[in-house]
Amino acid sequence: MRALLATARGAALEAAADRRALASQALAMAVNDGVWIVFWVLFFDRAGDLRGWDLDGIILLQAVLTTSGGIALGLVANARRIGTLIVDGGLDPVLALPASPLGLLLLRRIEPVNLGDFAFGVTLFAVAGHPTPSRTLLFGAVVAASATLLTGFLVLTGSLAFFAGRGESGELGFHAMVLLGSYPVDVFAGTAKVLAYTVVPAAFVSTVPARVIMDFDSGQALLLLTAASTVALAAAAVFRAGLRRYTSGAVWTRA
Amino acid sequence: MTAAERRAVRVAFAIAARRTLADPGGLVVSGVFYLIVVSALSAVWRVAADANGGALVGYSAAALTWYIATSESVTISLNIRMIGDLGEDIGSGVVAVELLRPASVLWIRVASELGRAAARLVVIGPAGVGVAALTVGRPPSWPAVALAVPAMALALTANVIAQHAFAASAFWLRNATTAWFLYQKLVFVLGGMLIPLEVFPGWLEAVARALPFQAMAYAPARIAAGHAEPLLLVGQMAWIAGLALAARAVFRMGERRLQVVGG
Amino acid sequence: MAIEVRALTKTFTTGRRRTRRTVEAVRGISFSVEPGERLAYIGPNGAGKSTSIKILTGILHPTSGDATVLGIVPWEQRKRLAARIGTLFGQRSLLWAELSSRQSYRMLAAIYGLSRDEERARVGELGELLDAADLMDQPVRTLSLGQRMRCELAAFLLHRPEVLFLDEPTIGLDLLAKQRFRELLVRINEEQGTTVFLTSHDVADIEHVAERAIVINHGTVIHDAPVAAMRRTLLATKLIEVGLDDHAPIEVPALPGVTVVERTDLALRLVVDTTTTSVRTVLDALLTGTTTTDISVVDPPLEQVIAEIYERPAS
Repeated sequence: MRALLATARGAALEAAADRRALASQALAMAVNDGVWIVFWVLFFDRAGDLRGWDLDGIILLQAVLTTSGGIALGLVANARRIGTLIVDGGLDPVLALPASPLGLLLLRRIEPVNLGDFAFGVTLFAVAGHPTPSRTLLFGAVVAASATLLTGFLVLTGSLAFFAGRGESGELGFHAMVLLGSYPVDVFAGTAKVLAYTVVPAAFVSTVPARVIMDFDSGQALLLLTAASTVALAAAAVFRAGLRRYTSGAVWTRA
Repeated sequence: MTAAERRAVRVAFAIAARRTLADPGGLVVSGVFYLIVVSALSAVWRVAADANGGALVGYSAAALTWYIATSESVTISLNIRMIGDLGEDIGSGVVAVELLRPASVLWIRVASELGRAAARLVVIGPAGVGVAALTVGRPPSWPAVALAVPAMALALTANVIAQHAFAASAFWLRNATTAWFLYQKLVFVLGGMLIPLEVFPGWLEAVARALPFQAMAYAPARIAAGHAEPLLLVGQMAWIAGLALAARAVFRMGERRLQVVGG
Repeated sequence: MAIEVRALTKTFTTGRRRTRRTVEAVRGISFSVEPGERLAYIGPNGAGKSTSIKILTGILHPTSGDATVLGIVPWEQRKRLAARIGTLFGQRSLLWAELSSRQSYRMLAAIYGLSRDEERARVGELGELLDAADLMDQPVRTLSLGQRMRCELAAFLLHRPEVLFLDEPTIGLDLLAKQRFRELLVRINEEQGTTVFLTSHDVADIEHVAERAIVINHGTVIHDAPVAAMRRTLLATKLIEVGLDDHAPIEVPALPGVTVVERTDLALRLVVDTTTTSVRTVLDALLTGTTTTDISVVDPPLEQVIAEIYERPAS
């Protein structure tokens, strides 16, 4: 535990080392996210209703998505790089230390750019999400679940590199999650909708959390918690199993 | 450009295209990415159209699907790291070395990126036709789709040239990431990639039409959605000429700066 | 026994379906290392050195065979072992680039469970030993390679490891820095009884650090002997370099134990196995009946001895 905290502290110090770069990159990302809100404002100006979702609902959706995205990509930045790290032997440094490799790996790196996402999401909720005390509490809780699920998913898809030898699966998985998670799942038909709840569980990253905030339903909340813990546990298990097959970037295994 | 330079440019295009086609993994990844984006985004617009009595600002649900399939195809075919890589190459001195060669750095790079994008489009294009046809059936007009093909080529050209002009800010700024984010958003929104220009409130629509970004996504998308308007292509060609001049000018200035300041 | 290895094997398979190949990186390697030994594990690139060391440090799981380090099976109890050994891989840094070394030590101390007092004392001690005390507060990224290496060493030794595993640690260092590094390794071993296990393809590392050398190639042990013994082999061969007169033909003396290494119009190089034929005999044969412009008799470099050993099949 001390080890993990120390590592997280190190990552934070490193990220803060160049404060100007940190600020400008984070700002750029925040502006980036802001444009999506512009899109939705323009959209709802003409369209009015999206299968029961209105601008307020979409704003909650985006707030959860960007905040939890900011955590999964910004605070535990190595989650999305696990595939590459595995293939290039990047796990060696953490394996040489007497602590849990996955924990160390995840906490080791903070990506300033995505901290902008986090800041944006939190601000969006504060400004346009009608932050009553109960809603704020719910927001915190669902973001935690959503971020856990997203991180777990990234680790899971990235860990496939242990078995497949190539590292791109993580990136593809991540993009798929973000793309599908940017829209309320109710917009999709049939197979796409099923996909968004299972193989690429983007529904749990944004739609379900937003629903829980708007209209608290214990069934949905439980579903969210179950999904998040399942993915997280599966990720840890797959990673552990994969370590046995780690090749540490050995040249012969390059395709 | 001399004949030799023109040849170098053609060769750069061909090599990039061939190399991209020889990497099936990369093509599959782009393809899957594209399919996900188009399915999700077009679904959103279809739902909006249906909720609005079948059409939105003159586009039917089917037309909107073909619109999105096209607008996304010309953006996803492009190398997402184009501006970042170019910025890095400028900052690290790679471009400074390239400038010593007797060939146009700018146009060779543009040709390479176009080759790459064209190769991707060869895969993504049919995928787009497929997904659109499967989702909403035949396009509003097959002749219009045929006209959209050259429009897509022009759109790619305009986009690549503009990105190079934009990335040239790295001659002065040392960090092209901010330039890239800004650029992306401009194309996504004002270029009509995410949203047909007709959806914008009047004043914004006018602004968007006056900017070069609409040539990069809106033009071919509108045509594919059933509006075979040749004037759009004329506009694209005009913008390509303008952007080419701008890119060349900025690169010349950058070159001069390198000679003064050093690599 | 500090390290014990028995019939260790590691096979890698390349990923692609159609071109699936298996590569035996390490094949049936066996050896043991006493505590306090200084061992060099040498071989050409691709010989299996890095693979072996990664198995011994618990990073890789072997395909078959046994190994224990300090009585612990590395890949089964990696964390327990990691607390008692030090690993330094040439291209991978233990330090955080943007931070100062001292900040990295703080983090590592927490990871290794050192108290603040222990950490402070140890960092001070290492600062003196490595002459790095004034480097520790600068961001690592601003240090020169040699300076960074000293700070890395401190990180490496922070938790008083009993066995040190170093994989190509002197790569990229200039001659002076290499020398200092080697001196430090020997000193640490002598003062603290730490076992040193070093992989390298730099022969000078063997000459100046190791007491014993294990030579591996193609995944198997080719030679395992004290370095002093290897030097003796050296004395048994001599290199004769002859400058020739362009116009006269030369006849190489057909004597046993004499091999022609190189022959051009102007030069001739012979290797003489002095246990078979004496240098004197060869020289006599060369000087009569041929026109030579120059002759020199030298010891072949250790490099060549090693290279020759590489070529031998497994002993």
